[in-house]
Amino acid sequence: MKRIVVLIVGFLVFTLESKAQILKDTVKLMPFEIKDSINRKLPYLETTIQKEQLESGSIRDVGDFLRSIPNVSGVRKGGVAVDPVIRGFKFSQINVILDNGVKIENACPNRMDPVSSHVEAEDVENIEVIKGPFVLKYGPALGGVINLVSKKPHPFEKFEMHADALYGFETNWNGQKEHVSVWGGNKKIYFMLNGGYSDYGNYQSGNASRHDTTFNSSFRKYNYGATLGYSPKKNHSINLSYNEIHGRDILYPALPMDEKSDNTRLIALDYNAVDLSNIIKSLNVKIYYSDVDHVMDNSHRSGWDSKQMVSVVDAMNIGGRAEMGMQIKKHKVFVGLDYENINKDGARTMTMLMMGTTTIKKANLWKEAKTQNIGLFAEYKTFFSYWELDAALRLDYNLASSEDTLKLIKNHISYFNDVSSNYINFSISAGITKEIAKGLYVSLALGRGTRSPNMLERFIKLMTVGYDNFDYLGNPQLKPENNNEADITIKYSNEKIGNFYLNGFYSYVQDYIGAIMLPSSVVMPQTSGVLGVKQFVNVKAVGFTGGEFGYSTTEKYKWGGSVVAAFTYSYIPSVTKYIVTGNNVTGDTLLKNDALSEIPPLETTVSFFYKVLKGKLVPKISARIVADQRHVSEASYEPYTPGFALLNFSIKYNIIKYVSIAAGVNNIFDRAYYEHLNRKIIGTTGKLFEPGRVFYINVKVKI
Amino acid sequence: MKNKLLLLAAFFAFYGLYGCKDKPIDSNPAKEYGKIKFNFTHLVAGLPLEKDTMKYINAAGNNYEVDQLMYFISDVTLHNSDGTTKLIDGWKDINYVDVDLSSTLSWNVYDDIPIGTYNSISFTFGISEAKNITMMFVNPPDVNMMWPGVLGGGYHYMMINGKWRDTANVIQNFDFHLGIGQLYKSNVINTDSIYAFVQNYFDVELPNSSFTIEKNKTREIEIIMNIESWFETPYIYDHNYWGGGIMQNQPAMQMVKENGFDVFTTGLIQ
Repeated sequence: MKRIVVLIVGFLVFTLESKAQILKDTVKLMPFEIKDSINRKLPYLETTIQKEQLESGSIRDVGDFLRSIPNVSGVRKGGVAVDPVIRGFKFSQINVILDNGVKIENACPNRMDPVSSHVEAEDVENIEVIKGPFVLKYGPALGGVINLVSKKPHPFEKFEMHADALYGFETNWNGQKEHVSVWGGNKKIYFMLNGGYSDYGNYQSGNASRHDTTFNSSFRKYNYGATLGYSPKKNHSINLSYNEIHGRDILYPALPMDEKSDNTRLIALDYNAVDLSNIIKSLNVKIYYSDVDHVMDNSHRSGWDSKQMVSVVDAMNIGGRAEMGMQIKKHKVFVGLDYENINKDGARTMTMLMMGTTTIKKANLWKEAKTQNIGLFAEYKTFFSYWELDAALRLDYNLASSEDTLKLIKNHISYFNDVSSNYINFSISAGITKEIAKGLYVSLALGRGTRSPNMLERFIKLMTVGYDNFDYLGNPQLKPENNNEADITIKYSNEKIGNFYLNGFYSYVQDYIGAIMLPSSVVMPQTSGVLGVKQFVNVKAVGFTGGEFGYSTTEKYKWGGSVVAAFTYSYIPSVTKYIVTGNNVTGDTLLKNDALSEIPPLETTVSFFYKVLKGKLVPKISARIVADQRHVSEASYEPYTPGFALLNFSIKYNIIKYVSIAAGVNNIFDRAYYEHLNRKIIGTTGKLFEPGRVFYINVKVKI
Repeated sequence: MKNKLLLLAAFFAFYGLYGCKDKPIDSNPAKEYGKIKFNFTHLVAGLPLEKDTMKYINAAGNNYEVDQLMYFISDVTLHNSDGTTKLIDGWKDINYVDVDLSSTLSWNVYDDIPIGTYNSISFTFGISEAKNITMMFVNPPDVNMMWPGVLGGGYHYMMINGKWRDTANVIQNFDFHLGIGQLYKSNVINTDSIYAFVQNYFDVELPNSSFTIEKNKTREIEIIMNIESWFETPYIYDHNYWGGGIMQNQPAMQMVKENGFDVFTTGLIQ
């Protein structure tokens, strides 16, 4: 506690003593329910979350927070690093990027480190979530895009300097976080320094039914970074940023190992120019480098004395993009290209201590694996009378290779052999929006997004990377996956009544990347406690359908509220179910129209708030009701998940110009519950529960 | 308006052409199959094994008991009367049997077995050199059969753990284990003096194991291990001579291996 106080006071004293402080920035108080900031003229759903909303809750993890957006869910394996899922699309099916184009290759095969875990919520300016394969300028997009935009410095008319500091505490976990930012500059040169620290203990599930459980979910993270900006002349800027994010002893009870350490380095150089001529309106060029060093082991597990597993993986992504925006009368065109080069290398060392002897086996997870992707993209926007048109095209050339020496061929069937592949992928989308009455818009969007298999799907060797209890084997000859999607959306906006939208979508995914079991006579698992080995394969086709509904009141009233609801339904026309008797696979059967695994159930959230003290104090109460998920994958022996209802309360108080407090209680009735997408505790059939009742407070000082 | 319609039509046309490629249907003709299940029984002198009871006497006159019995059989092969063979490896090719784990005492084979008459069954007792890979098993109970790397690695083929009454009437433990043997320089039993390894797995031809497979029916075949046979024919195995542990004693394991040819017999076929 002393350290925190010293940290905050130190920065405040430092910044207060800085000369030329002009307190121009104000703490904006937003209505802080998760309100879909839907752009009504886009033919697809794009949700934007602003930093004020991020600061108002108990956010220890961006992925966890994203679950509050309708039809965005997440895979939980531990206390942090919830892996976002959009309408049932997950992992590489969604394109998660930083700052409009920086890509990070997660090093951990178990996805302990999804991209969203490499950014702290306190460093985020806003988050854009785009559902569907419609926005193609950020890279291949199959199920959606999540763009995490970090806070960046900007020029000032004359030298200024500002700072903010945040301290947050949560009960249950006894978790605390601290974050500070200092930024300033003048017309030409400007900068930002930022850093944060969070330390959370193990959480307990709810105790309402008197059987709360403590889950090994503690974690410790710290990060720091700097951005330097230079504006050589008006409308031109160059930004160079450097960030490091570190994780230590992050426990994942739903995985066979925990994260011992994770060290991530991000470097990005941006050049931006606007209004270059009557036609060229913008030019954005970005070059980035990201590197993740990840170490995980089972030293926190009971089996460490007899069997030790240590995996070390290094993942590097170097790339860039250039985009030019042009406008000729009412026609807007964006064209550009992007490139990424991913290198991944890692090995697992197993040490077995049995019968008084030590046996060590080292096996590679990836062996100098490499993927390169170069893409050309174009976007076109125009309008005519009451119509608006958005269209996008993308052409990708993707190639992959590896230095793997594994050869797995049995009975003339090649399971793992030729490790080189290359693909040319074409993606296209188009949508129209018509204003059929004042404030009432109807949209139709059609798109086909194609993405190549990722590094894990191509080359991983025997790690438990799926939702089930199997080791997975990559398949270097996987084909690209294609999502053909149609969205119909109705949006209505009225200054008095509020904002409303209703969306329905259907996705037909061809060459869906799923997995099938492999016989133990072909390959045996390498992870303790797993049932066998699955290999990634292309499934001919699967389908997703569902929709979202949202309504929020306008901000003009003292009181307000919102209602959101979302639903996704999936099916696979034909799938093999393996019959397991005892420890043996004794047969198989073909199932028709089975569900896909890890599809979120129907849910709705209702929120009410009331502004008092001229809007400085805003209490809010929200109820989240989630239905049972009974449409589960029979082929995968996926269990059904019971529904639940939660009540949360929060309050935000802008005490004075410089100080604001956000506090609240989540899961007021201390329910013991788990989301359908939460993974099972390793070695058991029980799911990882969500935290029970949590009281939290965030204090923010900004000058 | 005309332009808009043209644009939409072009999109749908492209979408339809590009999005509706189909794969040819696999037209593998259907064959007729049945299933097979193996049941494992363990006898001493023709009676079911009674563990933890010093009631047995072997050919060497040792009074002994069996406390634990675990082993692997692999590469089970069914010999069809038409001269063809069916190797059971559709799902697994190495099967673990443990008298303490009832789930291992029967093996519902995944493979579809072509219908017909089969003359006999053969298998490898233990695991062949090519398949006996260190750390290939990661889960109990198989993982507990690990054979130390310095002694040749891989896994035990068999463990019979028990006790015998020695010549001084003292009850001693024996670990009657079979796995990869070692040859030691100058017969110095020290891991540093190992100069070669010996594969001790062997092939078993099950006598009187003819059977038929009928369409969509499961044939159950009992495989019997006659435990006393490990200690006789052609060699008399004397615990008093070989002592408690034989993992580093290749001559003892060689005797066990050679005694193993008639340990297995065929029981009930139904």
